[in-house]
Amino acid sequence: MRTLIIGMGNPILTDDGVGVKVARVLTEHLAGRSQIKIAEACTGGLRIMEMALGYDRVVLIDAICRKGGRPGVFHRMTLADIARMSPTQNMASAHDTSLITALEMGKKLGLELPGEWIIYAVDVDDIHDFSRHLTPEVARAVPRLTQTILDDLGIASAA
Amino acid sequence: MKRITIDPITRLEGHGKIQIFLDTEGDVANAYLQIPELRGFERFCVGRPAEEMPRITNRICGVCPEAHHMAATKALDDLYGIEPSSAVQKLRELFYMAFYVTDHTTHFYALGGPDFVLGPDAPPAERNILGVIHKVGVEIGKQVIDCRMRNHGVIKLLGGRGVHPVAGLPGGWSKALSEEDRVKVEAIAKENVAFAQFSLKLFDDIVLGNKKYVDLVCSDAYSHSTYSMGMVDSSNRVNFYDGLIRVVDPEGKEVLLYHPKDYAEHIGERVEPWTYLKVPYLKDIGWQGYTDGADSGVYTATPLSRLNVSDSMATPLAQEAFERFYETLGTGKVDGRYRPVHFRLATHWARLVELLYAAERMLELSQDEEITDPNLRPQVTNTPRMGIGSVEAPRGTLTHHYTTDENGILTGVNLIVGTTNNYAAIAMSIKKAAMSLIHAGVIVTEGLLNRVEMAFRSYDPCMSCATHSLPGQMPLELTIRDADGNIIQELSQYVGSEA
Repeated sequence: MRTLIIGMGNPILTDDGVGVKVARVLTEHLAGRSQIKIAEACTGGLRIMEMALGYDRVVLIDAICRKGGRPGVFHRMTLADIARMSPTQNMASAHDTSLITALEMGKKLGLELPGEWIIYAVDVDDIHDFSRHLTPEVARAVPRLTQTILDDLGIASAA
Repeated sequence: MKRITIDPITRLEGHGKIQIFLDTEGDVANAYLQIPELRGFERFCVGRPAEEMPRITNRICGVCPEAHHMAATKALDDLYGIEPSSAVQKLRELFYMAFYVTDHTTHFYALGGPDFVLGPDAPPAERNILGVIHKVGVEIGKQVIDCRMRNHGVIKLLGGRGVHPVAGLPGGWSKALSEEDRVKVEAIAKENVAFAQFSLKLFDDIVLGNKKYVDLVCSDAYSHSTYSMGMVDSSNRVNFYDGLIRVVDPEGKEVLLYHPKDYAEHIGERVEPWTYLKVPYLKDIGWQGYTDGADSGVYTATPLSRLNVSDSMATPLAQEAFERFYETLGTGKVDGRYRPVHFRLATHWARLVELLYAAERMLELSQDEEITDPNLRPQVTNTPRMGIGSVEAPRGTLTHHYTTDENGILTGVNLIVGTTNNYAAIAMSIKKAAMSLIHAGVIVTEGLLNRVEMAFRSYDPCMSCATHSLPGQMPLELTIRDADGNIIQELSQYVGSEA
């Protein structure tokens, strides 16, 4: 199964970079596996859809801001969850559409879209200060989430 | 005073919020676009080697990393006192044109265009690229995706990496173009020219062919008579990559022509209590408030203003489109050049004229015999101190300004990003659209609110926010102030949260 793992976010904007940080750790565990590709992105729906073409499965890792969310807690979600959460179906990017809209578009155009989407969302604390470092609670989530994703993919940890 | 808040802004990067303040009569008193502050960028950069800046600054914005990469690279040219060879300049510009084609295409089809293609009163859920496909056909969707993907390929090829390019060096460029790849880029550029022509035709058919839309574009509600700013080449033609900054007054008379290095002499920055962003204005004219006219230092830096400051376009098909634009919307010529057009919604058309120029320029460069020159890395020997670099980003003139110690370690960083130039004008446009559409006694419907959004969407605003938290969880923060500016209440909630 051709799998694409995308760490989303900005690695120099404190907790916004948690997806990218997890993706980088996964790279160490998954080296040499030709069926798995790991990428970083800080773009919206169309670009994600385009990146995903030709894969069977996509794992997205991103930050999430929730009312009452506890930093470092992560959630496994589906596209349906994302669709329900977005009130406008337009992910708030100046230059892109929401992932849901982009995937609908891809379907209409008959593009070769992955059948399976797994989304990991990490509750975050600070996404407004420039820093390469995650806040402590979010940093502690990185190894746990890495292990969870490896389990999800059915891969024994190399570490 | 009653407040109407439009939130979330359906297609705007980050967590922007429009606030409209009504007076006791129920009429519009003031309107602002507020955006969240990203803190500590300068502090993050200071102490790092300046040559890292092309790779750091392209991280501050997920929308136009290529523009930041290029402005930073040009600032390094200046910092290290190296004039790039013409081969380096051409290769950089080729890369930059591929970026422009992608960016302008996406804006028109996914963001600005749906308002026209679907109509300004269509429900928000339909005013997106899916709605465009539904109305115009699946083929258009395929063309948009093809255009984006083939040019993303060129950006990756020439920039050394996909989303965040890495090729910029002081005075140089680290990725040479082979003859084999040149042929591919040339073919892509040809497709881009055809696609840009097709897009202009589509605009012709759908917008110009519909009196209702033309009236909307030309309506007073979306018109502002301000100064225009843009980069021009030595013949006063549009240039995105390099040139002088030209400013013309509302009648089209040149008032400033300066080297980007001299920006601080001409651009003042106002501090306002309602935003952390500084509001730039023309120092030579002076600040008179958020108001139109030749006495007000408010200016714009957009596709429309770039056409307004230029005498002509540097490529033949874009020149034809340029003439048609001004013959259709303009009010004739003064001293041999077209008077500026001030209809803000015409910015969408201007963007397509620029799309055609970028495509044609890309084709010219791909056929240039110097473009495959492998000698792209000059020796760096000068002691650095201070460097300034500018490009035209799709959303306006972008300037990076660095100071360093003698080892090239950053001691100061100042950026004037594209959208910032338009901040005053955006506030004015929102207020004016709101004023003409919201009166005492008139119910504010979805269609009306969308027209207010249309007012700022033409500016394609992006506040350098690369925060991409998952959708639907946008923090909404409300601050209520009394007449003396004191905070009387603060509220916050998360829009669209299930929690």
